[in-house]
Amino acid sequence: VTRLRFYLLALGPGLVTAFADNDAGGITTYSIAGAQFGYGLIWVLLVTAVALTLTQEVGARLALATGQGLAGLIRERFRVRWTAFAVLTMLVANLGTTIAEFAGVAAALSLFGVPPQLSAVLSASLVVVLLARANFDRIQYAFVLIGAGVSISYAVSAYLAHPDWGHAASALVRPEITLSNAYFLTLVGVVGTTITPWGQALIQSYVADKGLGPRDLGPVRLDVTLGSGVLTNLIAVFIVVACAVTIFPTGATIESAADAARALGPLVGPSATTLFAIGLFAASLLGLATVPLSSAYFACEAFGFERGLHWRWAEAPIFYGLLTFFVAVPALFILIPGLPLIQVMFLAQVVNGLLLPIILVFVMKLAREPNLGDLRSGRVLYPLGWLVTALASAMSLAFVATQVLGI
Amino acid sequence: MGTVRATMPYLSEIHHRKVIEPNGNEVGTLKDLAVVPQGQFPAVQWAIVATGDGEKVVKWSDIAQEIGHLRLRHRLESVPDASLPGEALRLSRDLMDKQIVDTHGAKVVRVNDLQLSEIEGQLRLVGADVGLRGLLRRIGAEGLAERVFGKRLPRGIIPWHLVEPLDSNTPEHGVRVTVPRTKLALLHPADIADIVEEMAADERRQVFEQLDVETAAEALSEVEPEMQASIVTDLPEERAADILDEMAPDEAADLLQDLPVERREELVELMEKEEAENVEELLTYPEDTAGGIMTTDFVALPAELTAQQAIDRLRELQPDPELTYYLYVVDGQRRLDGVISLRDLVVAKPEQKLADVMDPHVLKVDATASKEDVAALIAKYDLLALPVVDARRKLLGTVTVDDVVEIMLPRGWKKRSSRTLAR
Repeated sequence: VTRLRFYLLALGPGLVTAFADNDAGGITTYSIAGAQFGYGLIWVLLVTAVALTLTQEVGARLALATGQGLAGLIRERFRVRWTAFAVLTMLVANLGTTIAEFAGVAAALSLFGVPPQLSAVLSASLVVVLLARANFDRIQYAFVLIGAGVSISYAVSAYLAHPDWGHAASALVRPEITLSNAYFLTLVGVVGTTITPWGQALIQSYVADKGLGPRDLGPVRLDVTLGSGVLTNLIAVFIVVACAVTIFPTGATIESAADAARALGPLVGPSATTLFAIGLFAASLLGLATVPLSSAYFACEAFGFERGLHWRWAEAPIFYGLLTFFVAVPALFILIPGLPLIQVMFLAQVVNGLLLPIILVFVMKLAREPNLGDLRSGRVLYPLGWLVTALASAMSLAFVATQVLGI
Repeated sequence: MGTVRATMPYLSEIHHRKVIEPNGNEVGTLKDLAVVPQGQFPAVQWAIVATGDGEKVVKWSDIAQEIGHLRLRHRLESVPDASLPGEALRLSRDLMDKQIVDTHGAKVVRVNDLQLSEIEGQLRLVGADVGLRGLLRRIGAEGLAERVFGKRLPRGIIPWHLVEPLDSNTPEHGVRVTVPRTKLALLHPADIADIVEEMAADERRQVFEQLDVETAAEALSEVEPEMQASIVTDLPEERAADILDEMAPDEAADLLQDLPVERREELVELMEKEEAENVEELLTYPEDTAGGIMTTDFVALPAELTAQQAIDRLRELQPDPELTYYLYVVDGQRRLDGVISLRDLVVAKPEQKLADVMDPHVLKVDATASKEDVAALIAKYDLLALPVVDARRKLLGTVTVDDVVEIMLPRGWKKRSSRTLAR
């Protein structure tokens, strides 16, 4: 029993991230992918499964060797100006993600007839309550449990809808690509919601804060592979399949949370809306408990400001100022009348996808620093990590070229 | 005095300055300065010049500071190649943007800039700038910010003699000599614990190898539980066992509980016999019970002792302060009969028997009581400690108020409180 407990000590960040990754933006983006393109984008999830495992392992190794978060290492290696650039990138991406989580709460509650303005106020208060509790481990695990429940619901719902599993499996390894702007946009969204800048920051903070060291590489790697690699993407596959069977054949598009909820119909029938609302709500809150905090932490670690919830306001004004910013701006944003919540959640993932390569370049440039000792990324991990970075960069550049420049 | 000198208060301001030969010929830029980190304000002894064909280490005394550039006293070819000793610290590479310990504020901070000063004709490292100003200076916005915010812009300079560099991150191939962290050892163990929590695993191990065993034990007790286990696992076994011997048995037991069974057994084996027995006994109780949080150190005295004999016994035992205030009176089978406070003992007549002075109505709990209940009792009756007994009233240990405070305070509060101390 003790052996297991010792293993569980390290086991955790990957599993938590797995469910946090399927946050408001995740559920929405995978639903849109399945509803619009059937099995057409499912192959992307196989690629991101491998890619996410690689980048998370590189990040975990950095933290295991140095005990520092990503921001601290960027500061030491790339100095002040590049750090400012990295922090800005991270904050923009995370602000998008936080807005998506707020939109997730609003979309979930809209299914019960709550107006988005009220939801915005409610979400903001919920974040404050979550953060005000010095120890929200337990609440966090409650969200993870709900997340697991919803994930299982998608799996069961997909199974009950009798999908063409053969087709799904073959589409996983033999891409069925559609050449269109919409397809490409959704692809960027799927990548952006799966491999995230904040996910890279989170894995490092988690490992560093737990005080794990080089000795813990084994369990951490196992956790990252199972959680980030396998579980995150497996859940995504089920969401895509469920939507591909239930919504794609009808030719409908997902305009609202109610549309997305239909994917759970085969499991619970008319209660699908309620189940989806609960899942979306829990997923959004898990994101809200994590992303604003890790954003403020990232910026303050980079610039050496006091950070953490054990400080008082006057002692850590920049930390709390950033936290406030990350609660107030998204809340105000949601107040905009007539906001298409689903689109907001989706586009935030696209923004994440576009900014991802910048963070990955920083991570990979740190991966072979001599001070990492034995934890330097090796002959397999290092080139593969760069391959992922190159692919993500190519994707972003191509997207900018097609969408913005209209090439 | 007399000669006009170009002032160079900050490293960021001279970093990348042009280096010229006596005839004005530009040969490179200043890449770094190096000091040997000894004394209050270490002197700058070397300059590292980036030339067309690589780095060249030049003695600082071979360079004159002039406005806008640095002038070599001789032609570059004729300047002897200096080499840096192993313990030298390169300011830009090893300190800029790195974390250091501010031993005055007892916290880990990041270096935004380094302050230099000419003291009696010698350029010296005088402080680390960890404030917002330093950061703004680095991005070239200090002047602008000053115009906007005026004098309110805070300066955050830590004088060098209060700085302890953390050197795990030196991007070197492990050749730098590790300087013992003498300044760190002077801090309160609880502050050392806070600082250690921000270090890399390897560096934490070094600190716990260097500290004297008593300080190491006290500091380790204050470290977050998850990290305690990983530190003990990283330490050489002998050292880990020595530190565990020095820790209070209840703290040592809590820590050992978090280790894998084999490692735990190895360490208990290496511990002193008496300590090991205490710890093994404590390990039999579940973590969240009175038995799990109690310590087996306490003062138990027989009832037939006189007050004077009891005081003599205390003098001999020299028990830890938190264990001194309540003295327990036990019978031949170590069954708990009563309690005497230190105050009652001191005011009693020297020849009075403990049996006559003690309070026989002693509050006690069973070893299986929940730790929350124990905390509640201690709070309710304003106790400093509460004895723990087994089913036959045999005294097993005591739960002291310091163990209970940890249960009652939310996580993170310990850190918060220390900032309130007047320094």
